[in-house]
Amino acid sequence: MFTFIRIAWRNVVRNPARSLITIGAVAFGLAALIFLKSFVTGADHQMIANYTDLLIGHAQVHKLGFQKDMGLDKSINNPSSLARTLLDIPSIVAWSPRIKDFALISSPESSAGVLLMGIDPVNEKHLSTLHKRVHSGRYLDKGDDDKVVIGRQLAENLRVGLDDKVVVMSQGADGSLSASAFTVAGLLDAGAEEIDKNLALITLNAARDLLVLTGRISEIAIKAASLEEVDETVRALRRAIDPKQFEVLSWKEISPMTYQWMQFDQVFTGLILVIVLLIVSTGILNTVLMSVLERKREFGIMAALGTRPGQIVFLVAVESFILGSAGALAGGLAGWGLSYFFGMRGIDLSALSDALNSFYIGSVIYPKADAASVGLYVGVVLLVSVIVSMIPARRASRLKPVDAIAG
Amino acid sequence: MSLLVEVNNVSHVYRKQRSSVETKALDGVELKVHAGDFMAIAGPSGSGKTTLLNLIGGLDYPTSGDIMVDGVYVNKLTPVQLAEFRLRKIGFVFQAYNLIPTLTALENTQYVAFLQGTSKKHRDHDAMSILKDLGLDTLIHRKPAELSGGQQQRVAVARAVLARPKIILADEPTANLDSRTGEDLMDLMHRMNQNLGMTFIFSSHDKMVMDKATTLIKLHDGRITG
Repeated sequence: MFTFIRIAWRNVVRNPARSLITIGAVAFGLAALIFLKSFVTGADHQMIANYTDLLIGHAQVHKLGFQKDMGLDKSINNPSSLARTLLDIPSIVAWSPRIKDFALISSPESSAGVLLMGIDPVNEKHLSTLHKRVHSGRYLDKGDDDKVVIGRQLAENLRVGLDDKVVVMSQGADGSLSASAFTVAGLLDAGAEEIDKNLALITLNAARDLLVLTGRISEIAIKAASLEEVDETVRALRRAIDPKQFEVLSWKEISPMTYQWMQFDQVFTGLILVIVLLIVSTGILNTVLMSVLERKREFGIMAALGTRPGQIVFLVAVESFILGSAGALAGGLAGWGLSYFFGMRGIDLSALSDALNSFYIGSVIYPKADAASVGLYVGVVLLVSVIVSMIPARRASRLKPVDAIAG
Repeated sequence: MSLLVEVNNVSHVYRKQRSSVETKALDGVELKVHAGDFMAIAGPSGSGKTTLLNLIGGLDYPTSGDIMVDGVYVNKLTPVQLAEFRLRKIGFVFQAYNLIPTLTALENTQYVAFLQGTSKKHRDHDAMSILKDLGLDTLIHRKPAELSGGQQQRVAVARAVLARPKIILADEPTANLDSRTGEDLMDLMHRMNQNLGMTFIFSSHDKMVMDKATTLIKLHDGRITG
């Protein structure tokens, strides 16, 4: 076997220019693929992190059916016992109780329908980044039960500014129509329409008073230690919480469109992978086929001397594997290195910041290479290099010695 | 001496691809070769010498007739069985040497023995011994391109002999060599025939080669004429 490997190696190095071009093509394709995948993964990761951190959290616990049909009748009666369950799950790093309902917000000049959220300002700061998106004024503090923070666009629509009065009106849990006046404490500029145009934040106490929800909440938003731990955290929550009473939803279920967008990115990367593999296979096939055709006489001699067809197939496959593995190694290292370098430094796309912000992606993207993907792509390239070699290999193994030697 | 090769009424026709033109290379050839023979098949170019050697060596199938080598009907073997047959029973020395260009003289010498599964230790020992006998022991690490024609042909003989085949087929082995080198090569093969009892069949139209042979077969237009 080693003799065939030695012959294969010498065949690869006997035409160094051709072999280097092939190795270079494989390396370039693979490096580009790994970098692209890292870029998309980095952008996706940023998008999900920003999106979940901004408002929804990594997961939410509701009364069963709340997600499908939000209403005060589906509120959680005993949040403190639920909170104790959360403390037992180590991957949960922050959680925040909320009350959510639709309401009408009015100024002297205009009115609009909004999503009214009652929050615990202290807990909420550990869970969401909304407090960092205050464009003017300030965020809610503990005890700000007469204050409201609203989106900038909403303020424009209502034609109100900081310290102006607005009235929030909604139907309470007991069926009564209730209204309270609030002072605008801050304006949010999150770059997302659903927040800037449709959100009004008040304290949890104020919401309970307004909506007649004493001691109750609508949801608990949860933050896991990392995005990678969300699925396991959700599974742990589902095991710990009575599924007949509560629903535990991950961000993928809360915002399926965001999840689908991420999946679309993966399909897109998969398509690029197929294209790169086609280019890589064509390059390797071309080189190995040329090499086999040039060495027809040599294969004829080997066959005449008693080399078995399977041994000739093995020889050609090893040659192809050497080319593929050299390209895969170089491409893998280059792709990983580029991803690592730009992952630390970031790629500044400030010129596209408006478009990127609308997808919750920052203007500096940090590519994120993961070992599993790099390993997978390198493995696939190696496999492809062997598979494509079967075409010239079978051709070489089927040569009739007398014809091949005669040329 | 026991019968080693028996060629019974063998004909061979070449057909050009995508053409109906046929060339009859052999026409009803009958031949018997005994173990230990040092036989020359002589004849002008196009007389069918190479074709006959190719058929005996299992490099091609006859169009009709039977060829038995060491008790095996060569013409009835599959291509894979033929590869095994060539490996175990036949040694080839080609006119154009046909060494593997990426292997050194030592590696070329060992190649067939390697295919036969001989251990590296034995291969190294036997190859060095035979290359020394052939005066090539200082050239063992040279590749074919770095050897002269005579040196390459001696490596080819060493490769054929090292595998201990039943029969060595040498197709015009001296054709590309000068007369002195050619004669040395024939003496070398004759010594091996005498010392090791190996059977040699070589084709040639060189008078020196015919003179050295112990048996001479003449071929003309695909028929044995003497």
